[in-house]
Amino acid sequence: MKRHVLVAIFLLLSVVTLTGIASADFLRMYTADIVHPSDAATKKSSLSEYCPSLKGTSADTPVYYFDSKRPGATVLVLGGTHPNEAAGFMAALLLTENITVDSGKFIIIPQACGSGFTCTDPLEGLPDFYTIKTTNGTRKFRFGSRVSNPLDQWPDPLVYMHYPSGQSLSGFETRNLNRSYPGRIDGNFSEQAGYAILELIKKEHVDVAFDLHEAAPEIPIINAIITHERCKDIGASAILELELNSLTYALEISPKNFHGLSHREWGDSSSVQPFLMETSNPIQGRLRGKTNAELVTGGVDKFYAQAVKSAKFRITYDSANGYPLKVRVARHIAGIQAILTAYNETFPDKKIYFSNIPSYDDINTKGIGNFLK
Amino acid sequence: MSNELLVLIVLLVTFAAGVFVLKLPSGVALALSALLGAIAGGEGIPIRHLVEGSIAFLDPILIVFTAMVFMKVVNATGALASINFAIITRMHKYPTLLIILMVFFIMFPGMLTGISSTCILTTGALVAPALLAMGMPIPAVGALLAMSAVFGMIAPPINLPVMIIGGGVDMPYIGFEKPLILATFPAAIITALYFRIRYLRKFDIAQVLAKLPPTVLPKYGYKMFIPILFVIGMMIATRVLAKYIPDIGIPLIFLIGALLGFGTGEKFKLDKMIKEALHDSLPILAILVGVGMFVQIMTLTGVRGFIATSLLDLPQGLLYPAIAIIMPAFGSAFTASSVFGVPLVYAFLGTNEIVVTSALTLIAGVGDLMPPPLLLPIFAGQIVGEKNNFTILKYCAVPIILTLTIGVLMIMYAREIGAFL
Repeated sequence: MKRHVLVAIFLLLSVVTLTGIASADFLRMYTADIVHPSDAATKKSSLSEYCPSLKGTSADTPVYYFDSKRPGATVLVLGGTHPNEAAGFMAALLLTENITVDSGKFIIIPQACGSGFTCTDPLEGLPDFYTIKTTNGTRKFRFGSRVSNPLDQWPDPLVYMHYPSGQSLSGFETRNLNRSYPGRIDGNFSEQAGYAILELIKKEHVDVAFDLHEAAPEIPIINAIITHERCKDIGASAILELELNSLTYALEISPKNFHGLSHREWGDSSSVQPFLMETSNPIQGRLRGKTNAELVTGGVDKFYAQAVKSAKFRITYDSANGYPLKVRVARHIAGIQAILTAYNETFPDKKIYFSNIPSYDDINTKGIGNFLK
Repeated sequence: MSNELLVLIVLLVTFAAGVFVLKLPSGVALALSALLGAIAGGEGIPIRHLVEGSIAFLDPILIVFTAMVFMKVVNATGALASINFAIITRMHKYPTLLIILMVFFIMFPGMLTGISSTCILTTGALVAPALLAMGMPIPAVGALLAMSAVFGMIAPPINLPVMIIGGGVDMPYIGFEKPLILATFPAAIITALYFRIRYLRKFDIAQVLAKLPPTVLPKYGYKMFIPILFVIGMMIATRVLAKYIPDIGIPLIFLIGALLGFGTGEKFKLDKMIKEALHDSLPILAILVGVGMFVQIMTLTGVRGFIATSLLDLPQGLLYPAIAIIMPAFGSAFTASSVFGVPLVYAFLGTNEIVVTSALTLIAGVGDLMPPPLLLPIFAGQIVGEKNNFTILKYCAVPIILTLTIGVLMIMYAREIGAFL
């Protein structure tokens, strides 16, 4: 046999072997994370209940209902809109596994972009899993991508034209759930997921909705509560209460000409009061150093500490302690509590009461694992 | 020495040794350096990351391959030769105007798709034989194609690096037309004039026409331009009439364009065209695979953050030249925009973010010319038949300096430019 044929066979076998090993790794991300809903859970459904075409797809993510059967507001909490923003998912999970609802109803979707949890973003060197120690042992969670898996929605157009505004965005954003609202039933995969969530908001008569996010430390909207212009009073009131507890947040009003985002489109398309919250997540940043699971949970990065020192622009990073996951989750939980307190003051005839949720200090001192089953 | 610096040295030395000592193809050298970089960074052999990086540029890979098939078909039907014959016979009396129009013609697909390589593989390939026939040196034609491709990618209406930066800083793609025109059109015109004055000598039209393959237009008529008109028409229609015409994707447009070649001109065998296209594009495709692995390992090991932080750490006076050097050195407009564009927009907050972003993408665009990937010089080299891609890069030197100067000046005077526009 000629030499080049032998070389070709060798290379082909090498590629098959390497691809086989990598495939096993990639396939592990299709195993769903285990969620132990609290005893207050009254129903478990999935997103396809609101958009049947999602049935059986990776976007058909679980939805947990906690109905007190007593009058009160209905609250929706979305975690994992961007699966690489771990605090969003983890805060929603912590609520799911602990909450007791005393009046009104909670609906929680811990992994809103189910598809994004099945892959990571190429070129980003991201870990596929991270672990958290709980009182019952170590739990492993998928990290995931900012957007839907290209195996579910491909190819990306060169330019993503948002429906219905026609706004132009990078083609990559076509798989971004938080650029897909209000979505459409016959749209692309992400638009269908966006449509399902908005349908849920409408059909369940959701009064307040949270979309929990994180962002790179250099992004100015860090530690912000972003809301629709209709809800600025509730937002301002919540921020005052948080300030009293020494927690600093900024109130941002959703830009009217930036479409596709939850705080804009939910508010425009329904009567819900939408709130999107951001924390500082070093693993999303462009300046980060070694990228691994420790950075997800520990949030310590030497290059961000260096960048803070150089003070070229605003970076939200604690050089002494980093930005660990427990702090980021605690901020989300504190933000939800403050906003709902402000909501109760504004709408006293439709109060939402819930309990058994750890405080900011509890999460910070005891860690997240102490509140996961 | 920090570990990240050590890994960076391993990455660069391995690549250089692979190309210059072991004489490996650039794509293979990039993959090898990624592997050794990962080991040096304490990651062992991270197969998942290497494979994930290797498929990061799958879409551009498909575009490059299908564009090559299309160009082989257009060449085989005789349409390419006929276009060049027409250009030269009608425009030879006005060489300055001709070369300026050619530059904008080459830029056109990039302006519509936001992808530089489409400029070289489509309109660039159409006009290159005419420029060569007029006596312009081979590397100069390659350089003109490559520079025009950079300007085409950055010029409006579609600028993907701006959208990438915009995605990172939550800035909608609105109001960029004028700054992007300012960034690219003057540079394109000056570049055209530079090549005209320096490399395009007087030529005898009879001798030039004798060198070109004969036109087959009289034999087949205008139907032979159907594939080209379809491809250019679809690129325009999917942008301008996006609400009515679905974006079927550039690869499919090229493939349909290639199939439309049947019966429009000289006969050809599609399987032969595909084999030739694959043979010619394989080194480029390998580079795209290798670059993906290389960048993934840079990110994984912290080298990417090390470079970005080091850049931002520089004093303001050094920051401008550093931007002009380090952003292109990343070897890819998209990667440089993603890594440096976002923090740099924040570093210049309060000036004019739209002008700054436009200028940053112009500077990042030069990255598509740079080693290690040398993407545009390699594409251009394929089209004009220049084997030494560094020679093409050398011929780009003056326009590159011009482009970077424009970019830096736009950042320095962003506020004033913004007020003027």
